[in-house]
Amino acid sequence: MSGRTELVRGVGLVKWFGGIVANDAVDFAVAEGDLVGLIGPNGSGKTTLINLLTGHLAADGGEVRVRGQRVSGRPPHVFAAMGVARTFQLTQLFGRMTVLENMLVPGLTRPHSTWEEVVRRARRNLDFLSLAHVERLPAKNLSGGQQKLLELGRCLMLEPAVLFLDEPFAGVHPRLRDELLERIRELHRGGRTFVVVDHDMESILRISRRLVVMARGRKIADGAPDAVRADQAVLAAYAGL
Amino acid sequence: MRWLPASLMLAAAVLALACAGRLNAYWMHVAIIAMYYAILASSWSLLAGYAGLFSLSHMAFASIGGYTSGMLTQWLHVPIPFGLLAGVIVCCAGGGAIGWVCLRMSGPYLAIFTLGFSEIVRITIATEDDVTAGMAGLHTEPLFASATRLPYFYVAFALLAASLLLMSLLVRSRWGLFLRAIREDEQAATASGVAVERCRIVAFAIASGFAGLAGGFYAHYIGIMTPGVGDLDEMAKLVVMTVIGGMERLPTAVGGAFVVQFLLEWLREYGQWRLPVFGIVLLLTMRLARNGLLTPLWLPFLRLGEARGQPLVAAPTVPHKEPGT
Repeated sequence: MSGRTELVRGVGLVKWFGGIVANDAVDFAVAEGDLVGLIGPNGSGKTTLINLLTGHLAADGGEVRVRGQRVSGRPPHVFAAMGVARTFQLTQLFGRMTVLENMLVPGLTRPHSTWEEVVRRARRNLDFLSLAHVERLPAKNLSGGQQKLLELGRCLMLEPAVLFLDEPFAGVHPRLRDELLERIRELHRGGRTFVVVDHDMESILRISRRLVVMARGRKIADGAPDAVRADQAVLAAYAGL
Repeated sequence: MRWLPASLMLAAAVLALACAGRLNAYWMHVAIIAMYYAILASSWSLLAGYAGLFSLSHMAFASIGGYTSGMLTQWLHVPIPFGLLAGVIVCCAGGGAIGWVCLRMSGPYLAIFTLGFSEIVRITIATEDDVTAGMAGLHTEPLFASATRLPYFYVAFALLAASLLLMSLLVRSRWGLFLRAIREDEQAATASGVAVERCRIVAFAIASGFAGLAGGFYAHYIGIMTPGVGDLDEMAKLVVMTVIGGMERLPTAVGGAFVVQFLLEWLREYGQWRLPVFGIVLLLTMRLARNGLLTPLWLPFLRLGEARGQPLVAAPTVPHKEPGT
């Protein structure tokens, strides 16, 4: 991470749900240009970690910093304004609004944005995601894979520094999954930073430059994918070996 | 052709103004009251239809607006326009406060909370005889000394037109888009950078302000304010008007107010039986046309306007290029 700007850092993050600890003193940092795969068994605390790092949950302990600025407890729109974008495990679109309108919402929250400029940018992004032909359709009418693409497009409209994608490949047709992977790669090559959570190990390993593994609310490994795959603790937690 | 819907509304307005002088006193009164409800229905549509905030305190704010203006003009001899303005300001502040208190509420919780507020307002007005004249009603200064209702018709018309213009500007702006996004998915809206809490508070404040304006006009038209203005029956009537017309668009909400108000008068000879008829119409609307009975009539004009109009910005033809570069 040396030499690269640190975008988001969670320090000692703790989150309890009733008597269950979902995140137990987790340290997590993302630097500019990273493409991090975040994996772990069900219930290991991956989504909770994303929720904490994007302001959708308030931590019971620890703190979150965006570009070095402490932002713990601030609402999610403040994180979005600071360039932290996210998608959701279960796709959350503005269902009865058109595809184009879905794109306009985040674009118009940017300071000094104008309708004309945002519409132009939205159409360019829809074109990039192969969704230009459905811009007038209500978002709820799209297929599952197209909805995932639209959610990614909505994130792009924030011109984010870092994108947290929560299970972007879940339930997506292999052809659209490949398209989604290609778009993520292309965006990463263009300088975007990603944290991708998914159970689809094949897809995660195809794109990740760094792999973080969680189990029972703790981070148990963090490093290059090859090194992490050989880690005995990871094998034990993940495959029950 | 993009101006087709606006042109239609303008034509309807010109027609209404041209025909106003031919109405007899009774139907002119009905038209004035319909315009009072139209302001309330459109502003409630802003809150419930656009932002998805199903508040039941709207008539309470109409009542607050009416009493504020009525009391200021009666006791402090404030000119009526300033009384109306004061009512609007008080309602904006009160609406904003309610919006702030209800930030975490939605659906039935918000409805019950605002219903509770509404009842508190009504009972307070009914019991504080010394201040509000209680159930006897507060006599208010008339807006005009005229023997005819025509000046009231023009004022109601102007208030409705100005309210609709302001609300249309709002819903066509980025704020309108944000409100609809909040209605669809609050969590996704906030993740998209929308300051959801601020938008909700502002929506409550603005809608309540329009309710206060309508209430103020009503007070100085009818000449008496009673606690009944803000009671649950009135709120139910407003919901029926807006839902039957179509709560997700301002013109259909306004149309609903006119249709229901005129039908209620037209069916008056059937006494209380006309009310169950409206109950049945409401049930059928919810079952068969959730967007309201007038929406299917209004949408073709909107589509015609879109189809023949020029797009805002021509779609670029850059194939698969990294966005933002």
